[in-house]
Amino acid sequence: MKGGRRQRAIGQAVVALMTVLMSMVVADAAAVVDVYRMIQYDLKGNPMGSRRAALNHHTVSGFDVQGADLSRAVVILPALKVNISSLDEFVQNKGLLGGLLLLLPQRSDETGGAEGDDSDEKVAKALAELEQWLVHNTFQYPVYFAYEDENLLKLLHEVAASDAAGRPASATNGGYKLVVSAPEAKKLTTPTITNIQGWLPGLRAEGDSLMLPTIAIVASYDTFGAAPALASGSDSNGSGVAMLLELARLFSRLYANPNTRGRYNLLFGLTSGSPYNYNGTSNWLRNFDQRLRESMEYALCLNSLGSSSDRMLLHVSKPPENAFIQQIFSEIESVAKDSDLTVELKHKKINISNSRVAWEHEQFSRQRITAVTLSHLEEPPELLQRTGGIADIRRSVNETVVLRNIKVVAESLARHIYGQQGKQVELFAAGSNLALNPSYVRSWLNLLGRTSRVAPFLGKNAPIINALHKELSQHTKDASLQHETLDSTFLFYDSTKAQLNVYQVASVTFDFIVALAVGSYLMLLFIVLFISTKGVKDFVGIFRKAPSRKYKST
Amino acid sequence: MTFFHFFNCAALTFGPHAIYYKATPLSEYDTLGTCIKAAIVYLVTTLVKLICQATFLQVSEHDDFDLGQELLKGLIGFLDVGGLYYALTQVSHRSISQDHKFQAVGLGWAFADALLHRLAPLWVGAKGLEFTWEHLLQGLESNANLVLTVSLAALGSLMWLRKNKPSALVPVIYTTAGVVAAMPSITNYLRKGLAWEFSNVVSFELLASLVMSFITWRLFCACQRPAQ
Repeated sequence: MKGGRRQRAIGQAVVALMTVLMSMVVADAAAVVDVYRMIQYDLKGNPMGSRRAALNHHTVSGFDVQGADLSRAVVILPALKVNISSLDEFVQNKGLLGGLLLLLPQRSDETGGAEGDDSDEKVAKALAELEQWLVHNTFQYPVYFAYEDENLLKLLHEVAASDAAGRPASATNGGYKLVVSAPEAKKLTTPTITNIQGWLPGLRAEGDSLMLPTIAIVASYDTFGAAPALASGSDSNGSGVAMLLELARLFSRLYANPNTRGRYNLLFGLTSGSPYNYNGTSNWLRNFDQRLRESMEYALCLNSLGSSSDRMLLHVSKPPENAFIQQIFSEIESVAKDSDLTVELKHKKINISNSRVAWEHEQFSRQRITAVTLSHLEEPPELLQRTGGIADIRRSVNETVVLRNIKVVAESLARHIYGQQGKQVELFAAGSNLALNPSYVRSWLNLLGRTSRVAPFLGKNAPIINALHKELSQHTKDASLQHETLDSTFLFYDSTKAQLNVYQVASVTFDFIVALAVGSYLMLLFIVLFISTKGVKDFVGIFRKAPSRKYKST
Repeated sequence: MTFFHFFNCAALTFGPHAIYYKATPLSEYDTLGTCIKAAIVYLVTTLVKLICQATFLQVSEHDDFDLGQELLKGLIGFLDVGGLYYALTQVSHRSISQDHKFQAVGLGWAFADALLHRLAPLWVGAKGLEFTWEHLLQGLESNANLVLTVSLAALGSLMWLRKNKPSALVPVIYTTAGVVAAMPSITNYLRKGLAWEFSNVVSFELLASLVMSFITWRLFCACQRPAQ
């Protein structure tokens, strides 16, 4: 009796232990890859982007594979080989997919060459087109980006081979399985956009109670792209930020000495929220006090000035015949002539009823402050276009061009401040102690080119924000941060990076076959051992039924 | 579906031991106690072996085959023989015949070996999604190991428990015992020194175990006759 109870207790303990042990799972994948999820956001309540994060399906190498169940498969496509129109058709027909993995070409941190590389341009163009299409569509399945490396290319090759042989990966066929175990994405409740400003006061004459006029130099530093972890726009607007920082450095040297301090205040602004109709800029302007607003002479907005180009455009919203606009334009043009740079004036009227703000200077104009935007871009970007996404890589920015543009802007600004319009003076000559610093510009371009800066995902204390703040506080008297909440037209969801596990799984039929083989082996073993040790008679005796009790009683 | 694979491999690895116990007269004579005692002796022997290995062997960074180190490992492996000797002769068993004693000791020994060496890798590896042949091959290896261990126990019982043996066969018995005891070193050499594939090593082990068990069986029968 006692033995029986003890045995049962031990049995129960063993079962409990087994259940606990069985719930521990150890991952043991063929390859583990870093993947970056596509952005998930709501625009005015409409769900956009990729709405799922977790992934657990077999892989397929294309959309027209025989016998593949696409709704339970992950399609792997190299991003450059995507046929956008056929993909668009698939999406418009509400086609269901298990998941989509896009492979991006290997990134390199090299700086842009002096001559634009033709293939680089084609790649950038194709990626930009793909990104634009992706960002404006909704996908009910996870979409991930990964950089091509040898593991993934080998995987794609093998998957394509087995697909071509008519054996797509599935539960019955075995094959490769992609697993991303990420929790479902949650809304970002209070997305913060942070503006950074620096104030360089001008020289006030004795007894001068009026406020000096102010010139603002503004550049937006945040980005938006199809994959928020990869949106580190170098041209839009890393080039603008680098220019602003170099200008701040140069003018802080000039203003350090009261003998060379100009009679203008300089306000440097690094704004955020630019892809969302320059939300941050409008908040920043609304917080200006009345005196500052009245003292503003004009604002210079810098946007995308890094790609190789011989033209710089001055975008304005005031009519170009305006005398002040003409003055600014001629100042810049006269300096630009010496550097073989053509400057053009482009006018775009503001439509107050339209909430779309294409250029940063329009926010200033809405507050009745004269402003212009300097850019290589010719057309005003559409919503979420040219916002520094995946396609905007470091290689697309040409350092020499950026330095040339800095020189042009700095010289024309100096001529305006010191009243040297029309005179041929060169303040920031090479070799002087006011010379431009190429390594300074290069290091900022490099840093910005590898830091993703999608504002809602940065939070208040992102390292890049602190770095920019620290830099501005070194060059200006008064550097401060201003935190605002992004307006509710845009709602974002988290979960931007994950790890992809690639497993090579055997098919279910294989497991069954093995079970059958092992079972028959064990049975054979039993029979052989039984017969050899106890004899055939005993063996046969197992199968004969025991004599029925009925006969015994009679 | 990977629990399925785990069960397959576990059945292949541990099933034969259970079947050996059930199918042969071992179960009728209730030799479970002997098996458990043999398993405990195996545990102690393995502990001693590990301590010796930790003390005397050097850890090498590469997977090369260093003859000196391997000889030392083989020497330490002979501790196994000492353990079996202890299990066969010194541990008190209930009155069971010679035949069954060595089988029970060999079974307990092999089962403990399979449990210690193969359960953990099986648990961690076979449950994952990733598929490799390794675990099935390990199962086959444990089968070969069972046969070898029982042969070694048989030879051991011949050497130490049987008093009257035909003198011509004595050197044969000792050589066979030596070969069987050295099997782990031989497999190690094949895997590392000659860099054979795991599947080839396992098939060699299976073949060798069959051959060794056949030789042992003949020797055992040959020694049976005089003990009338």
